[in-house]
Amino acid sequence: MKLGHVLYESGIALQHIYFPADCIVSLLYVMENGASAEIAVVGNEGMVGVSLFMGGETTPSRAVVQSAGHAYRLKGELLKAEFGRSGATQHLLLRYTQALLTQMAQTAVCNRHHTVEQQLCRWLLLSLDRLSDNNLTMTQELIANMLGVRREGVTEAAGRLQASGLISYSRGKITVLDRPRLERKVCECYAVVKKESDRLLPDTMAS
Amino acid sequence: MPHATPAPVANRLLGALPRQVQQRMQQRCEPVELVYGEVLCESGEHIRHVYFPTSGFISLVTVLKSKSSLEVGLIGDEGMLGVSLALGVDTSPVRALVQGSGSALRMPAAIFRSELERSPALRHDLDRYIHVLLAQLAQTAACTCFHVIEARLARWLLMTHDRAHADHFYLTHALLSEMLGVRRSGVTRAAGELQKRKLIHYSRGDVTILDRKGLERASCECYAAVVADYGRFFG
Repeated sequence: MKLGHVLYESGIALQHIYFPADCIVSLLYVMENGASAEIAVVGNEGMVGVSLFMGGETTPSRAVVQSAGHAYRLKGELLKAEFGRSGATQHLLLRYTQALLTQMAQTAVCNRHHTVEQQLCRWLLLSLDRLSDNNLTMTQELIANMLGVRREGVTEAAGRLQASGLISYSRGKITVLDRPRLERKVCECYAVVKKESDRLLPDTMAS
Repeated sequence: MPHATPAPVANRLLGALPRQVQQRMQQRCEPVELVYGEVLCESGEHIRHVYFPTSGFISLVTVLKSKSSLEVGLIGDEGMLGVSLALGVDTSPVRALVQGSGSALRMPAAIFRSELERSPALRHDLDRYIHVLLAQLAQTAACTCFHVIEARLARWLLMTHDRAHADHFYLTHALLSEMLGVRRSGVTRAAGELQKRKLIHYSRGDVTILDRKGLERASCECYAAVVADYGRFFG
């Protein structure tokens, strides 16, 4: 799955669901005028396509690969059949839906009240948790689309984090240099989302 | 005219269930009054009851440590409070605050869980409702990023109007500022603008909707999108 690849558009009927292995997928809400904002990020702790088993068939968001890598794909029909058996799979998928709900609610309040720099820190940490190393390949344009802010805002925020030695940023590659300080700088939203995911999905959030 | 059809259930989510399930659910619920400003459940707290509003309505609010907040969902007679239970989780991720006084049907959490296990129709109904709530959440997250206060206030008044079933309701500046996550002065300006355009009348917390069509035009696209989504499943 390549960076920027669209797994599905909002409003389109879902054929497959995806379980990211070492890639990260961003769920974006897209406005009529094309402006978008990230509502959740999904890595190897979760799955893309919750709407399918929640009876929605189509999804309200666009799913875009935010960090290249691999994922497992499953036909929607197979997942629905498994979900219908009301066993451990259903139980796990429902709990994941609750974790997603929490992440979306926290993202909404974060978008409203926190600075671009805090949002960028949250976004970097959530991404880092889903990667095996400290490097993210990402353009400022894409980050701006994710955070629903102007590109200049991202440039400024990233510049400040770089100047304080927390990250280095060059040619679309972000390296996190000082994670503990990034954690001190981030708003509470990162911890709220992480704690809730850890609690609801203890077996999948091992990292 | 013969009265062959019994009174419809006043909650549309329950009303969408097959007759038998509907009756069982109603028998297991008790009617309660929702009082304006009452907190039914704090975020992180155990869910003791689920609520199916019939005339009152409830806000779902995410609150930050700084006490800044944002409404992320509104539940009236089209929905229910406590869907986390249907996701296998017994705590609420958000605060539930009564926004409009009125009545609701209430059911203890344990009974709700056992009903859910025995009725695939209820499961199906709720899965769809959760899908609608997720869509509402996604829309809200994006809406707060992009839309001006006036459009968001118009959206919010329309959603409230739908659930209040009256052209007149009570809302303080403080509450509106908490719901929209903006300063009170911002609320004052936006409400003043809507009032100047004769879409609402607003005085000391009393809101009267004067021109619903005009308010729909003043709202961002988010209102229509959420209504359409609900209509697709429960229309």
